[in-house]
Amino acid sequence: MYIHQHTCISAQQTFGEIELNTVKESVNNKLLAVEPKYEGIPPGILRRMGKAVRLGVGAALPVIKNNNNIDGIIIGTANGGMEDCIKFLNQIIDYEEGMLTPGNFVQSTPNAIAAQAGLMAANKSYNITHVHRGLAFENSLLDAMMLLKENQEAKYLVGGVDEISTYNYNIDYLEGWYKKTATVNTALYTGDSTGSLAGEGAAMFLVSNNSSNAVAYIQAVHSIHTTDTTQLSSALQHFLQKNNIETEDIDILISGENGDNRLLKYYKAIENIVHAPAARYKHMTGEFPTSTAIAVWLACNADKLPAHMFKSGDNEAAPENILIYNNYKGMQHGFILINK
Amino acid sequence: METMDKEQLKQKLKEQIIQFLNLTDKKPEDIKDDEPLFGEGLGLDSIDSIELIVLLSREYGINIQDPKEGRKVLVDINTMADYIQQHRTK
Amino acid sequence: MSRIVVTGIGIISAIGNNAEENRSALINGISGISNLEFCETKYAGLRPCGEIKKTTQQLKDILNAHEAGVTRSSLLGLHAFMEACADSNLTPKQIAATDTALIGGSTVGGMCVTDELYHDANSDEEGSEYLASYDCASVNLYLQQRYGMAGIINTINTACSSSANAIIYGARLLKNGLAKRVIAGGTDSLAKFTINGFNALHILSPEKCAPFDKDRKGLNLGEGAAFLILEKEEDAIGKKVYAVLSGYGNSNDAYHPSSLSDAGDGPYLSMQSALQTAGLSASDISYINAHGTATENNDAVESTAMLRLFTSPPPFTSTKGNTGHTLGAAGAIESVFSIFNLYYQEIYPALNFNNPIEATGLQPVLKYQSHPIRHVMSNSFGFGGNCSSLLFSKIS
Repeated sequence: MYIHQHTCISAQQTFGEIELNTVKESVNNKLLAVEPKYEGIPPGILRRMGKAVRLGVGAALPVIKNNNNIDGIIIGTANGGMEDCIKFLNQIIDYEEGMLTPGNFVQSTPNAIAAQAGLMAANKSYNITHVHRGLAFENSLLDAMMLLKENQEAKYLVGGVDEISTYNYNIDYLEGWYKKTATVNTALYTGDSTGSLAGEGAAMFLVSNNSSNAVAYIQAVHSIHTTDTTQLSSALQHFLQKNNIETEDIDILISGENGDNRLLKYYKAIENIVHAPAARYKHMTGEFPTSTAIAVWLACNADKLPAHMFKSGDNEAAPENILIYNNYKGMQHGFILINK
Repeated sequence: METMDKEQLKQKLKEQIIQFLNLTDKKPEDIKDDEPLFGEGLGLDSIDSIELIVLLSREYGINIQDPKEGRKVLVDINTMADYIQQHRTK
Repeated sequence: MSRIVVTGIGIISAIGNNAEENRSALINGISGISNLEFCETKYAGLRPCGEIKKTTQQLKDILNAHEAGVTRSSLLGLHAFMEACADSNLTPKQIAATDTALIGGSTVGGMCVTDELYHDANSDEEGSEYLASYDCASVNLYLQQRYGMAGIINTINTACSSSANAIIYGARLLKNGLAKRVIAGGTDSLAKFTINGFNALHILSPEKCAPFDKDRKGLNLGEGAAFLILEKEEDAIGKKVYAVLSGYGNSNDAYHPSSLSDAGDGPYLSMQSALQTAGLSASDISYINAHGTATENNDAVESTAMLRLFTSPPPFTSTKGNTGHTLGAAGAIESVFSIFNLYYQEIYPALNFNNPIEATGLQPVLKYQSHPIRHVMSNSFGFGGNCSSLLFSKIS
């Protein structure tokens, strides 16, 4: 599956003028997305959008604009419009189930992002939303890859998006997934503590079987659920074998390491197999369930990955094979194999 | 019940509508008293009409149950203001 | 290409705790719509629902599911999952195998514990046991952990067509060789959240819902779960085979966030593309399990779309008059009902129907009858214009 267009809205300068060398710092343990002005979205539509919908549609618009007849829209999002969801919930409790405004309810369904993108593109074709938490984006990629086998000539919009809302931050904080003490992103990997920094963002891709002028090629995707590092290691070995890739063929490992000392063992297990330079990205994006969408966007820019991303080794001149490994909450693991 | 002349009421109502429906690109003076709220005018839709009925309930203590009644009231700023003056309970 | 067949079914809804009870209720025209007894809301008594008359604690006891943080949605899902796996004689080893996929649709997920969610989202005190249970994925992650499943696991949320899309995705995994067997379906439970959401949109009926009736007053929410076991025909030799999943379509109406276009483009296109993937024409369809939520908008638009595609639409019913609208579970529950139509060669009566909608004049099936059935279409349309149609066919 070839990537032809790639857009990204994140906590870094990734939309419009791209600048990856300077790292924007986190505030209050959060890396909030740098939102553009959304000039392509009519105010009458923008007024209803929650942040996840804005991020998703905002990132999708340049792709939609350049491509009239997209054959489908595939979005991965764990939570969709969580802010709207809890705003509606708060109305239920605060007004004791009285007269409530339905706008938040309608916007709270995770499929609102793909639906709104479809609406704005007047696109009546395949439209789906994968919500399998930390593998929502991996499942979206798999969906797109199957679709391109089923419809050889087609092209699809595929992407991942999630937002930080006050509420999901609170829930994940209470569950222990964010740092308990003030931590800046530039020091994310140096401490020895639990939790990470909260993040959000969206990345969108135009994919097809057409190899000419493609930015990158997604060779394979694989996901597993386990807490066992041995199982994880053998899953990776099996994955590489199946795709005829030797570990030394991999030029860069893009690693989802997130500063949570409980998860380090998984990343170490992978680094024990793949000795390529390891590039980390969560200090740029923060942690969120569909962060690998941004990892794929970074892989599309592999020749300009900044030095601050590299944990070991340097960026090679022309990296060819890139492996993305990410772990979400110790349980969900995804591998994405990309060729430049 | 606070007393308010009709012009003040209309001004207040416009501010409330803008805030309630998040019409960030509009100012009160952009909304004409006789401009249709739905369709061509302000371009509101069915979800907005329900939101406006909730606005009337929360801000003016007016409970409209019958959607047909709602359609008669939610025509433009003038019709809304008239209805509020006649039926407000707060 | 080899066909995708259904080798196991599991279902729980307001009209029965298993496949047999559900079928018997459909035959006898029994409605599961009642006043709420267990779901806590101000609207109990005001908005009847298709509630399963078992408390969450009772479900935990029956299923021996006492893990912390398990929600009603997960329990209903587990109930149907276990029945489907047993029906298809899947061994624990097969369920856990890397070539067994689990694809589930849900819209409520763990949000059924609405008050705990309010607390955990807003409070800085200690969290509840449900911190990891609110999202839609929590259901399938629970099943994955309980059975140590190593294959592809996915959760889909396209609102009211979620589990129809889960079934489509499952079939495509089989066709692409990414799984050997797929457990596909969905689950949703009643929740203060959805009851208030649909009520705020003024589409909850104060009475038992009347799909396709001229004077319909809106939908009744319901709860339930259903799973199908899907396999390739060649892998199911010697097994009981209920039906062939012969076609499917997914289209977007691209009109409005919460209502369908007057012309019904989304519903029309999803039905049409289901016919195309199956290589069938409209006249081949013996029966339609309609989406038929009994809202003003859905039933009018669905009728229009049926008239556009079928010169003279085949017999149809909306079983939401029996179960209520089970949201993310509806596509899977109604797939099971469509499979009953084929396997037992029978069609079920519509409930609460009196007069047809004037503009379209369509009348659903009113009496239980034995009926030769070759191909059944099952429709599911959701918010966001997400329309999906499934086609099930007789095995021979």
